Amino acid sequence: MKGNCWKFGLAAAMAILSAPFASAQQAPDADELAALCHGAQSICISATIPTIGTQALQSWMSPDVGAAWAKGYKGKGATITMVDDFSSATRFYGNFGIGLQYQRHGEWTREEASMIAPSAYIRSKDFTTGSAVSLAYGLNVLNLSYGMYASQGYSVSQIGWAPEESSIISYASRGLAVVSKAAGNDSVAVGGAAGGKQDYLDLALIGKPSAIFVGALSSNGTTSNPAQLAWYSNYAGSDPRVQSHFLVVGVAGDTTGLYGTSFAAPIISGYAAIIGSKFTSATPIQITNDLLNTARTDTLVNYSPSVYGKGEASLSRALAPVSIR
Amino acid sequence: MREKSGKRGGFRTAAFLLSAVLGACPAIAQEMTTSFVDIHQGSPLSDRARALAQGGYELQNGSWVSFDQWYRANWIDMHVDLLTQITDDTGILWGFGTGEEGEKYRIQPSFKFGFLTQTHPSANSILSFSLTSTIGGGLAEKPCQADYGDFGTYAVNCRLAAGELSPEQTLKYLVNVRPESMHLWLNYRVTF
Repeated sequence: MKGNCWKFGLAAAMAILSAPFASAQQAPDADELAALCHGAQSICISATIPTIGTQALQSWMSPDVGAAWAKGYKGKGATITMVDDFSSATRFYGNFGIGLQYQRHGEWTREEASMIAPSAYIRSKDFTTGSAVSLAYGLNVLNLSYGMYASQGYSVSQIGWAPEESSIISYASRGLAVVSKAAGNDSVAVGGAAGGKQDYLDLALIGKPSAIFVGALSSNGTTSNPAQLAWYSNYAGSDPRVQSHFLVVGVAGDTTGLYGTSFAAPIISGYAAIIGSKFTSATPIQITNDLLNTARTDTLVNYSPSVYGKGEASLSRALAPVSIR
Repeated sequence: MREKSGKRGGFRTAAFLLSAVLGACPAIAQEMTTSFVDIHQGSPLSDRARALAQGGYELQNGSWVSFDQWYRANWIDMHVDLLTQITDDTGILWGFGTGEEGEKYRIQPSFKFGFLTQTHPSANSILSFSLTSTIGGGLAEKPCQADYGDFGTYAVNCRLAAGELSPEQTLKYLVNVRPESMHLWLNYRVTF
C-alpha cells in the first residue's frame, strides 16, 4: 500500500484557489473558475518579485484595517510565509488599488498580505519545490492559497505528502504556526468533492488547533449592509470541527478584479500578524482562537454556522479586551 | 471690585517675607488688604481631561465602552486668585486650585504664589510686572485593567486598550502633565 500512496502523492495536484480575471468588470463564469482551480500547474522557473511597500488603506479592505493601522502597529515582529506559485508562467491582471498589475498568483497573495500587515516580514515559498517549510523566529503565519486535489474517496492517511505539506500539517497540529487556508472555490463544504476531486490539504487540516479555513464574502459586511458568501466560495458544512475553525472575509473582486478564496486567506494571515504584533508573547493557537472567537455574525446575511462557520473576522474585536475596568 | 478678606492677618507674615526677598520698601503698609483677582472653574489641564473623554471602542462581544465614563468629574477644578497689597505699588499674588478627579484621572490641588509690582514712568503711565509660580495641579491619568481572554490580563491605558499597541506599550501614553509652573506678566499702560 505504501507504493500506491507514493504514486497517489505524486498524482495530487496543487491548485491555486483564485479566480483571476483580466478585467475588474468581467464577472466570472462558474465553469471557468472550476477549471482553473482544478488544473495541475507545476511548471516552474525561478523568479524574484519585490514586495510592495504601499501602506494606504484601500477600498477593498475592511474599515477595521484602517483602524488597526491608526496607532502604527502593522504586524511588526510576525513572519508570514506565503506558500504559493512564485515561478510559473501563469500571470493575470488585477488591481489592489495601486494600479493595474500583471502578476503570478503568489505575487498577488503576497502583495495582499503585505498590504494588510505592512510591517510583517513576508517570506515567499514556492509551492512547487516540495521542500519543508521552515519557521522563522517569533510568530509564524503560513498562508495557503492553494489546495492539493486528487480523486475523491481516499483517506488523508493514504496521502503521501511531500515534505512541504507534511511540515505545514505538522505545524498546524502542534500549534507552531497560524495556518490560514483558503477554503476553496467549488461551492462545496470544506473537504467536499467537486467534479470527482477533493482538496486533501483541507481534509488534513481539519481538527488542527491552529488551522483556519477562510471563505470569501462578496463584500465586507456591516450591520447595515450585511454580506453574503461569494457564489464560488466553499462553506463550512456540517462538520463541527470545520465550523469552529472557519472564518469569512470580504473579497472585493469587483474592485480588484481578483476573485477567489485565495484572496481571503491573506487577509486572515495579515490579521494574525497584526494581532501577534500586539500580543507579542501569544502563541499561534491563542491567536487562532482569538480570531475565531471574535468573529461577527451580525454582519452576515442569514448567518448559519454551516455556511459561515464562526462568522466574519473582525480585527478590531480581535484586538479589543473581553472586559475592562 | 475689591473686597476685604477676613483672613488678612493670616497672610501678613508671608507678605513680610516676600517683601524682604524682593527688597521692597521696608515701610510695609500697615493696612494690608486682600482682594479677589479672579475666580473661575476649569483650566487647560481640565480641558485636556475633557478631551480624553472623547471616543470609545467595542469590546470583543461588541458592547460599546465610552471613555466618557472614565474622564467625567463631578467637580471641575476651581481656581481662586487673590492679591494681598503690601505697599501702594507692590502686592503678593496668591491663590489655589481645588483640583478635580474622575475615575481614571486626577488633577491635583494646586497653590499659586508670586508678586505684582508697578512703577510710574510718567504721570500718565504705569508699568506693571508680575511673576507667579504654581505648585501642584498636575494631571495624571490612571491605568485600567484589561482582560484579553487567553492572552491574559494587563494594566493598560484605558483609551488604547483596543488598539494595536501591545498592552505594555499603551502605558507609555498615559497622560501625565504638569501645569504651567511659572507665569510672567508685563504690562505698560498709558492714559491719555
